[in-house]
Parts: sequence; structure tokens; C-alpha cells
Amino acid sequence: MANNNDKIICRCEDITESEVIEAIGKGATTADEVKRLTRAGMGHCQGRTCRRLINQLLASKLGQSPEDQKPVTQRSPLQPVALKILADS
Amino acid sequence: MANNSDIIIIGGGIIGAATGYYLSRAGCRVRLIEKGYLCSGSTGRCIGGIRQQFTSEGSIKLMLESVGHFSNMKEELGIDVHWHPGGYLFLAHSQEKKEAFLSNISIQQSFGLKDVRWVDAYEAKQVAPGLDAQGLLGGSYCPSDGQAYPFAVVSGYVERIKSYGGSINTFTEVAAILQGGGRVRGVRTAAGAEYQADVVVNAAGPWARDIGQMAGIEVPVEPERHEALITEGVDYLNIPMLVDYRADGGYFQQFRHNGQFIGCYSPVPNVPGHSTDSSYQFLNQMPRRMLKLVPALAPVKVIRQWAGSYENTPDGNPILDRTPLEGFFVAAGMCGHGFMLGPAMGRLAADLILNHGKVPPVAEFALERDYSRQEAMK
Repeated sequence: MANNNDKIICRCEDITESEVIEAIGKGATTADEVKRLTRAGMGHCQGRTCRRLINQLLASKLGQSPEDQKPVTQRSPLQPVALKILADS
Repeated sequence: MANNSDIIIIGGGIIGAATGYYLSRAGCRVRLIEKGYLCSGSTGRCIGGIRQQFTSEGSIKLMLESVGHFSNMKEELGIDVHWHPGGYLFLAHSQEKKEAFLSNISIQQSFGLKDVRWVDAYEAKQVAPGLDAQGLLGGSYCPSDGQAYPFAVVSGYVERIKSYGGSINTFTEVAAILQGGGRVRGVRTAAGAEYQADVVVNAAGPWARDIGQMAGIEVPVEPERHEALITEGVDYLNIPMLVDYRADGGYFQQFRHNGQFIGCYSPVPNVPGHSTDSSYQFLNQMPRRMLKLVPALAPVKVIRQWAGSYENTPDGNPILDRTPLEGFFVAAGMCGHGFMLGPAMGRLAADLILNHGKVPPVAEFALERDYSRQEAMK
């Protein structure tokens, strides 16, 4: 799937542009679907880097504007927190 | 004519996808209708555990079959679903629990689950390195239980449905069940589109009651919120899924394929309704419960929390049956076990639908049944 000219879109999960485009080809029309098909945005940073890139890819492939893209659901915690810290809080 | 298909399935989770796959494979033209995106209901919110340790004949035998499907899925669907037989260890901290598990083990073995066994506290620590065995009498351990990745499984089934010529309608909400001549004729969507089919399957999970009501069929399924969390990936510790049924217990496992820990617990009291909001209380409680069992996980970081719905029936058993409306079937009410049951349930649903009158439904999954007998390993 990945080739030498491919670009990394999600650095946490190591997901490339061609993998995101493949997910769109399978019928994904939202970033939430791309996330579930590819794992892009499921990693350590929770999509902070890739979500805009994914919305741009969706927009360009679906002929829409990036602002029209439905954002992925944001989930807590806002940054990774150790189990011990959460347990003691 | 493009709106015609042989069979319409309502629900794009594991039950709908697996049922659609087996029906497509048998030559039916399937249309799968999902009100959100695929896996947006319960399947995509589950923690991916797969176990055969149940207490009813129907569930044990279906799970034996499901494990066979999961272990063969990479070849069958051409997608790595990250199946890994990492085992399940149910923990007994009381004599009462121990006796219940010993009794369950003999039931499970009698129905063909050969590798389930009682382990004492010492052996429990052997099979679950790092387990704090304080107060532990032992556990019910089955090494052939395991885990898989729900999104990959559903995606694999859906791609197969498409390759057999089936159609997938996402973001399409069913608003009415069409009837005529004393039988089901199709569905109408909220947007007003009509799709015809001689068979309609209600695989709507936590919304199964609502879909049933559209056909005048009472389907006793109630949604109940369950929360979950997942950590960053760390080195694989070779711990089976740990299940602690105590009021302050929970269940969690580590994914073999990426090292993430994932877990949840059943809140007391339960939280009925469709809400999938997350609570801070869970984010505090679940780590406590995990660290009580495996203290060495203290520095592992939580990256995400979410919630999803169990789709409960009054007795904890699924519903798979035809209904008084000819051509209208129900495959729902999986009670938090839909993902693991899914492959075999889909196969069974397809057999039931294709053979109509010939295949008798499993009595304990019947729509009309005595709902007072409880599945003990909920």
C-alpha cells in the first residue's frame, strides 16, 4: 500500500495518504469513518496533527470544501494521563 | 428496479454485516441500511473481547463456532482482523463465585468447550503475570478465548457484501416498515426513499425495539450505557482478558497487535438509555480497578474514553427469530456480546432466513420465550 512517494498523514498510527484515499474509495465520507477504517487519529495525539489533513483529503476527493467536513468526535482526556494519576485524582 | 433487493438488513454493526455476508454468499442480493456510519452503534464501541465461557447451550455452541470463524477470518475475508487467542480469566474472590465458576466449567465442558479449567490463585498468577492475587481464590480460565478488532471485522464483511453485488446505505435512517398482503414489503427511509424486499432483518442493536415497533412487533431490547477507555500501547504483557465481577471490578485486556489496554465495567446501578456521554467518574474509577488487579500498569497513559450501549434483553440472551409479520426477522439484543457472537449469529440468521419454515429457531433465542432464566456470565 505505502510507496516511496507516499506521505504520512497520521504520525501516531503511521497512516499514509494512500491509505486514507483507499478508505474514501471504500465509501468513507467523514473523518469519523476514515478514522475507523484506517486508525488515523486514534493514536497518542488523538488526531491533533492529522485531522485537518484528513478533512482536506476528504474535501478534495468528494469535491467539497474543508469547512464542510464534519469534525471527528473529540474525546477526553485532552492529553494522555497515567492510570495512577487518574486513579488518585 | 434499482431499489429492489432480496433482503434488507437494518443495522450496520457486526450482526447486520455478518448476516449480510452469509446471505450474500448464499446468492442473495442484500441491501444494508445504517443510520450513521458503519460501526457507529455498539460494535464500534465494544472492547473487542471474544469468549466462549457462557452458561447456556446456545451461547456456548455459537461461541465455539464464532471462534472458529475469527481464527479463519484473515483467509476468509482477506483482511487482518487481529484475532489473537489471548484467553479469558474470570476471577473468583469469594467461595460463592468459585462454586458458581466450577459449576459453569462443567456445563461449558459438557457442551464442547474442552480447554476451560479452574486455576487456583498460584496458577492464575502464572497465566496472568503481574496479577495481584490478594484475596483471590482462583479463576475460570479458557486459553482459547481471545480478541479481535471490530472495525476490521465489519469492514471485511461489508467489502464482501459489496463484492457479491450488495448495496450499503450509510447515513440512511429507516422511518417505516412497508407491509402489504400480510407480509413485509420493504422499508421507507426518513428522507422518503422506498426500498423493496421480501425479507427485512431488524439488526438495529440498541434501537431494535424502535424498529420492531414500526412493524408492530414488540422486541424487548433496552439500551444501557457502558463506558470504556483505552491506553497508549506498551510492550505486550501476555495477560488474558481479566474479568472481575465484584461491584468495584471491571474487565480489561491488552491488544496483541498494538499493545493498547482497553477496558470497561458495568456500573452499579445501571444507566439505562441511549446516552453515550462519558463521565469523569469512570475516568477515575476504571484506572483504580485496573491497578487493583495489575499494579504495574500505574504509569501507562490513558489516551481516550468513550461510551456505548449494551442492548439488553430481560434474560441476558440474544433474540434471533422470525416474527408474526411474514418476512420480518429479528437478530438483536446481544446483551454486550454482539461482537463476539456476531460471526456465528450471522451464519445462523442467514440459515434461518434462507430456510424459512425448515430451520427451527434456537429455543433460547426465541422472540416469544420465558425471559426469567438468567445468563449467569453476563
